[in-house]
Amino acid sequence: MTVQFLLVQTLNALSFAALLFFLASGFTLIFGLMRIVNLAHGAFYLVGGYVALTTIAATGNFWLGLLAAPLAVAIAGLLTERVLLRRIRGQELPEVLLTVGVAFIFADMALEIWGGDPRSIELPAFLQGGMDLGFATFPRYRVLVMVAAIAVGVMLFVLHSRTRYGAIVRAGVDDREMIAALGVNIDRVFAGVFVFGSLLAGLAGVIGGGMLSLLPGADTEILLYSLAVVIIGGLGSLPGAVIGSLIVGFADAFGRALAPELSYFTLFAPMALILVLRPHGLLGGR
Amino acid sequence: MIRLTVLAAAIGIGIAVPYVLGAYMVSVLTLGLIYALYAMSIDLMGGYGGLITLGQGGILAAGSYGVGYVASRAAGGTGRQLLYGLLATLILSAVFGVMAMRTSQVYFLMVTLAQGMIVWGFVTRSTALGAENGLRGIARPAAFSAYWKYYYLCLAIVAVSGLLMGVITRSPLGLSLRALKDSETRLRMLGYNLALTKFYVFVLSGFFAGVAGMLLAYYTNFVSPANAAFATSGRGVLMVILGGVGTLFGPVIGAFLIMLAENILSAYLARWTTVLGLVFVLTIMFAPGGLVGAGRRVWRRMRRTGGSPGPTQTDPLEQTRPPAPSAAETSAGLSGGPTSKQT
Repeated sequence: MTVQFLLVQTLNALSFAALLFFLASGFTLIFGLMRIVNLAHGAFYLVGGYVALTTIAATGNFWLGLLAAPLAVAIAGLLTERVLLRRIRGQELPEVLLTVGVAFIFADMALEIWGGDPRSIELPAFLQGGMDLGFATFPRYRVLVMVAAIAVGVMLFVLHSRTRYGAIVRAGVDDREMIAALGVNIDRVFAGVFVFGSLLAGLAGVIGGGMLSLLPGADTEILLYSLAVVIIGGLGSLPGAVIGSLIVGFADAFGRALAPELSYFTLFAPMALILVLRPHGLLGGR
Repeated sequence: MIRLTVLAAAIGIGIAVPYVLGAYMVSVLTLGLIYALYAMSIDLMGGYGGLITLGQGGILAAGSYGVGYVASRAAGGTGRQLLYGLLATLILSAVFGVMAMRTSQVYFLMVTLAQGMIVWGFVTRSTALGAENGLRGIARPAAFSAYWKYYYLCLAIVAVSGLLMGVITRSPLGLSLRALKDSETRLRMLGYNLALTKFYVFVLSGFFAGVAGMLLAYYTNFVSPANAAFATSGRGVLMVILGGVGTLFGPVIGAFLIMLAENILSAYLARWTTVLGLVFVLTIMFAPGGLVGAGRRVWRRMRRTGGSPGPTQTDPLEQTRPPAPSAAETSAGLSGGPTSKQT
């Protein structure tokens, strides 16, 4: 095991963690406020990736795809929240199970429209190829994904802790009756957060579509990774999502490189350990 | 009394089936029986303890793969196949039970979902277990190879298992499980070891799911990773919700409806999964108590008003009902009661 191997695997881990952060941050924001575990998050990711793929294939413009996918998924999120979830609000288990039904529908529709073959997003020339980092060459796209994740992460933290919108959401997490009594339309805040979380899932779909392949089953697989992230980091906590993404990213990258057949056990082991020692995750409240 | 009559009638119909229906329908109904056992195992935990699992497919697969491994890789006899199936089920249930026993509600659901998918990931990659192709050549025990004999075997096992589960829900363990659904805090105050209660029920429920998995392996003569997939776990939960959570009999109805529909309708419907998703959504939104819950409500109303719905005598459940699905219905249906209202 050389130093170079370690460095390259570390970069692999960090770039996968970056992708996971996009997914898990939306997932955890929705749960933090609404107490809904959106199990359609994986299906939203897949649909986002496919929409970007089609848009890019039709227009030849990567940026249009990057714009269209989050928008399309945000609309799907808006419909799910307004038409379905809003009517059964406050009942935790039915809400979660409803999202299972939504996941079934979206995944099956994606199979109908985009078929069963693995596909991936065509990257523009300036995102292709490798970047010479001195010790090795590493895909330029993955480097940019890491940079983007850091940028979005910082933006989320500022939004969450420094702005009025963040304050409303944080207050809603603590006491939704009180914030409603103060004249905030909490119903609209709920819709906003759900749409925002879905938007992040769509964005993750575009990013993941350039890194991994899009195919039926990728939705549940990425959902498993997101679940591992929030189970380890703690559901509802943004810093928890960061830590969880890093742990899962490292466990997965090194697991794949060292023991490919057992790669899922590298997810299983940290999860089992956390659940036995701290059932609500490293930074989970309650 | 009504319950016993229904049960006796169901078993009577079950025995009569092969005399009335053809081979194809009997074999579809055999599959219905196997899934009924699987759905009841989910309901044992979910309906009575509010611990809905989205990973039961993984445990079902443990039973199937235990049998399949011995049959197709080790060339062992039926006795050893059953032993390995049971061992695989119990070991996996115990390990997963320890992981999940300190969580509840939504956390429990998430943890079990992850567990089920880890099993799926493992069996799709493991070359010893045939990876994506699964394991073939699982022969039924010679005495039960005819379709109708296997049907009767399944009927007997499912009926006995159902009765056992009924007994479990009325035992002290079952009672503390129900109390757990109503209020975890109160139960903890009374000095109950919640984690241990959950662990026992998890393993018991896993045992029945594993038996269903073993029956399924002999039924289809092969095992594939699809047994452990998210779709299998989700379908089990759907059977429970559609039939009626917390009734044991409801999931049986749900399982038969879905297996019949799947085998008969999917020939005409290309997008069967979408239909399942829609049934999922519609049941949760409009019939939270499932078919059994809806049936009970109609029955009660008919008895109270002597057949015609009078304006003055309304169902107390209906009266306390706010526009949205009510608290009364909630505690009877899916949600975990007061504890789930915490913010």
